[in-house]
Amino acid sequence: MKQRMRQKPPAVFFVAAAAFTLGAATLLFAQSDTGDYSQRNLGSLAQPMVHAAEMGPKYSVGSYPLYWPELEPGEGRELVSGYCNACHSPRYIPMQPPLTHDQWAAEVTKMLKTFGIAIPDSDQTTIINYLAAHYSPETRKK
Amino acid sequence: MSGISRRKLLKTITAGGSALALVRFSEARARAQGRGPEAMPSFTGPGANPYWTSVGPVATYPQKYPLVLLTDRPVQLETPRQYFQSPFTPNGAFYVRWHLDGIPKTVDLAEWRLEITGNVEEPTKLPLSAIVSKMPRISIAAVNQCSGNSRSRMQPRVAGGQWGNGAMGNALWTGVSLRELLDAAKVKPGSVQVQFQGMDRGKGPEGLGSNAFLKSLDLADPVLKECILAYEMNGEPLPMLNGFPLRLIVPGYFATYWVKALTTIRVLDKADENFWMKTGYRVPDTPRGNTTPEEVKAGSVKTVPITRMPVRSFIISPEEDAKIPMGMTVMLRGIAFSGYGGVTRVEVSDDDAKTWAPARLGEDYGPYSFRTWEFSWKPERAGGHVLAVRATDAKGNVQPDGPVWNPGGYLWNRIERQQIMVGAAQ
Repeated sequence: MKQRMRQKPPAVFFVAAAAFTLGAATLLFAQSDTGDYSQRNLGSLAQPMVHAAEMGPKYSVGSYPLYWPELEPGEGRELVSGYCNACHSPRYIPMQPPLTHDQWAAEVTKMLKTFGIAIPDSDQTTIINYLAAHYSPETRKK
Repeated sequence: MSGISRRKLLKTITAGGSALALVRFSEARARAQGRGPEAMPSFTGPGANPYWTSVGPVATYPQKYPLVLLTDRPVQLETPRQYFQSPFTPNGAFYVRWHLDGIPKTVDLAEWRLEITGNVEEPTKLPLSAIVSKMPRISIAAVNQCSGNSRSRMQPRVAGGQWGNGAMGNALWTGVSLRELLDAAKVKPGSVQVQFQGMDRGKGPEGLGSNAFLKSLDLADPVLKECILAYEMNGEPLPMLNGFPLRLIVPGYFATYWVKALTTIRVLDKADENFWMKTGYRVPDTPRGNTTPEEVKAGSVKTVPITRMPVRSFIISPEEDAKIPMGMTVMLRGIAFSGYGGVTRVEVSDDDAKTWAPARLGEDYGPYSFRTWEFSWKPERAGGHVLAVRATDAKGNVQPDGPVWNPGGYLWNRIERQQIMVGAAQ
């Protein structure tokens, strides 16, 4: 039986095989996903320029890049940028997890008492309120 | 139309036209299917960070590979997971953490001196050449881990650098013996501690933690015998951001003591009371440094300076986006270490830490190095699996499964887990 088929396959076999191949190919392409390039931009950061070394006993590197964060708009944003930026980048703020009003107040107190920045009382209140208004578990959007 | 044939131009235009059509088609398809590359969220919390590293963008800094950016001034960069596939972390990939914004950018070795001063008979100032070529070379493989590594796992979340697991690295450090330098300077009787200072400076007033970063070790601490001042990291000069030209290596201890760009060794006749010892980097004097927000609020928590790193282990590959076809064997790989002597055992679980099987340990580079491990895993059923890994160290400490919480966000060493999907193969 097998041998006879190999010797002379019936025409219907070819038709069935062709149909099967076509079906399988269609099925394969339907289930596989190729060449899916999104149109949305994920964003990227530029590479710093290569820094050339000089002769002599001085060892230096290129400037350290800054990435100024987009702080949420609102009352107090300029005070926050201004005062906090004295010692560290405002990127320290969005890097934190959402913190409560009390936790932000404790952070500001640490900057005043422990680290010695001078901020007028009314500005302290504005700064704490700004941070809690945009970077607390209830309020943080991004 | 010289040079370009009409036919070729026509072809080019046609190709341009179809490319334009393709753009329109792709846009339409992307809109229809709602597909797009998803960025990591811009923050995690108030729940625990579920990702292996922190969620910031990837940025390139001088002498460094692209790393995860936590902050830009002072610089804090986290090492991505894939760099832990090898027992030694490449210098370019090694994480970065500075406390003050005045970070060295240029070091003039004609001016630079290591000063040994304070309560000693013979204060000295040494140029780098004297340290490199006139003293015996010592090498040690040692893990450098930030005290706040994995801080973003804590519940409730605490302020500070929101590291995932990548604030650590292992290197072969080469340099000279700290003990030998101290002996040569002749420490006076009655001395208590030795203080270390680097080139970094802050904008804060003198005397405060925002002005200078200072760390001290007890002169009686046995770790002093093992400390070296390293001028090489994995056989090369240290990158500027990792402490060129000289860095203190304190094997087994958290990185807070590993002062970068070291310039001053100061012997003290009384305990160091500067911010970075008396207030910062302290942990509750409790098992695993655990406490609660309530106890902290009540002011009932006695603290001590952080010291040695508790035993930890990590699954490095495969990562979450791998899917294993049923019937395949997959090699699970990772690293383990302890600040209390070498790792003696690593175990793997594929049922969410209920049952365990031993992993095969990689080469032993000494008690303070990363130890690689691997485990040949053949899943017995399709579906989601929760893998887990735990290590045991030479002191018999077994990595625990409970969380850690303290206000500084230090000492996290809970058993790590990894979701992995096994799919049908037909």
